[in-house]
Amino acid sequence: MTTAQNTDAEDGGGPFTNWVKSAIENPGKVHRAMFYVALIFFMFTTLFPIYWLVVLSLTPNDLIVNMGPIPRGFNISVFVDMWQTVPLHQYMFNSFVIAITTTAYVLLVSSLAGYAFGRLEFRGKGGLLLLLLIISFFPPAAFILPLFKLFTGNVVLFGLHSPDLFNTVGAIIVPFSGLFLPLSVFILTTFYSQIPDGLEDAARVEGTTRIGALFRVIMPLSAPGLSTAGILTFIAVYNEFFFSFLMTTGQPENGAPLVWGILAFQSQYTSLYNYMAAASLIGILPVALIVVVAQEKIVSGLTAGAVKE
Amino acid sequence: MATEHKQSSGFPRPDYIIANKLEGLPEELYAYLLLVPAFFMVGAVALWPLVDTFTMSLHADALTGVSVGDFIGIQNYVDVLTGQRNAVLPGSFWYAVGLTVVFTVGSVTLETVVGLAQALVLDQEFRGRAWVRMAIILPWAVPVVVQGMMFYLLFEPSIGFLVAPLQELGLFSSTPLSNTQDSLILITLTDAWKTSAFMALIILAGMQSIDRSLYDVSKVAGATAWQRFKLITFPLVLPAVLVGMLFRTLGALKVYGVIEVLSGCRTVPSMTCLVISAFRSNRYGTSATLAFLTALIISAFILVYLVKFVDSLRGIGGSA
Repeated sequence: MTTAQNTDAEDGGGPFTNWVKSAIENPGKVHRAMFYVALIFFMFTTLFPIYWLVVLSLTPNDLIVNMGPIPRGFNISVFVDMWQTVPLHQYMFNSFVIAITTTAYVLLVSSLAGYAFGRLEFRGKGGLLLLLLIISFFPPAAFILPLFKLFTGNVVLFGLHSPDLFNTVGAIIVPFSGLFLPLSVFILTTFYSQIPDGLEDAARVEGTTRIGALFRVIMPLSAPGLSTAGILTFIAVYNEFFFSFLMTTGQPENGAPLVWGILAFQSQYTSLYNYMAAASLIGILPVALIVVVAQEKIVSGLTAGAVKE
Repeated sequence: MATEHKQSSGFPRPDYIIANKLEGLPEELYAYLLLVPAFFMVGAVALWPLVDTFTMSLHADALTGVSVGDFIGIQNYVDVLTGQRNAVLPGSFWYAVGLTVVFTVGSVTLETVVGLAQALVLDQEFRGRAWVRMAIILPWAVPVVVQGMMFYLLFEPSIGFLVAPLQELGLFSSTPLSNTQDSLILITLTDAWKTSAFMALIILAGMQSIDRSLYDVSKVAGATAWQRFKLITFPLVLPAVLVGMLFRTLGALKVYGVIEVLSGCRTVPSMTCLVISAFRSNRYGTSATLAFLTALIISAFILVYLVKFVDSLRGIGGSA
């Protein structure tokens, strides 16, 4: 390819041919150019769908026909009017309740498990860790039927009916509390195992109980690990579709989360495209803020969770 | 030690009693005790449901209430696999397997290529690198429902400018969201859009663990940039790429949410779609059979993972 360009460059003297000439002498320049092309391409492809939501939300709905990539108008009031059609805030509130409860529970339980896996010696350690890992790979479709039975009060154990949690946030929180555990256990196992034994021993000599050493020494020292596990769990729960969609009939008073809020626009107001776009933008906002604030944690958590496993 | 926790009234606080009891336990027993809450949860929401799904799959559909009918052995499996249940499903089981596999191969390949390219970009030193990385991670954090909605708004023919040119080129039909082939392409694209960042980060972590002096040596030896990539970068990040690909394969085989939002389970009946549509029509036996078959197919891939990575797992599990 370079030879073909080279022959062209011999005859002319335009800025492009000059650039090609100098590029042939200095291949680093070509790499730099390729790098910038790739950079701009990826920035464009990742951000364009989000930009498209901005375009649609700012355009008054009656003008949304064969839209180009530029907004037709600046209808900022859509972000106010939208709430009157679908109570998105109630759906988002449910999402927050589900995500925060799950995260708190997962952090507590996975701290205990992570301490055992990371700092104690016992038989069957590898096997149990493996079991947790395998479970996190199974499809949620393999769990939904029995869990639906359980949460609609159709499982009887010792003559007691299971609690009727269907159509409450509980029916979503309980499955998540189990299914998102393995990721946190893995992250915390790694972090807890890296704390020097001396620190824990010192606390024990000072009279701290075993469980006290976990809560007063190991956990504070692993604060970066806990926040990494917490952030990843929160985002995973907030983004989840399967149980969020199937464990409720979709009304906000029935614990329906964001999934149902967004779908409500699509199903009830089939042609209010600007509202759909605005609601989607608002739905992204909390996680986008987390990405901006906690980028480093997300990167370290995702790579620790995957590469080290 | 225990005495100093006693309150002046003479009654020890209950949490101190528990803490003191834990002191006396052998380490192994203490470890098991700490694992009880985690395994109780996992047992309740994953292990028991898996076993119960299998049990349900051996029973006939009852069609009323949340229950199954009589025990019929493997009849459900025979019927599902030979296509005798197709009438009550949006597609045959094998068609769903085919669609899901095509989607998985397509999206994982695309994500790997894009992720590798993104990682190569992020591996460079340049101003604003943190901002670029943030932009690349952002799609990963977008909720599935919004991801589906975005691509719905991009490819709904009456709204956007993308469908018409693609249609003129003969690539898409006039209604891509209700055409199986077009929707499958779109779902593959949305998945790649969302999860390439995950691949990129894993590959980037692999790249950054490469000893930089290898590159210095290769420069001195006169290797070109392509040779450096082919002989150093690629072989050394390959393990990370394979781990990422396996993770993404396991994820892609479960595809459901984005289909539901973008084009519906009738248009693109993935494996999970079949499970849900049987579940919705109260065919619990059929649904459980489909769910268990889906789990079996995914287990085959998990097995690959175990065979390949069980040693590295022992590394963190056993040596602590």
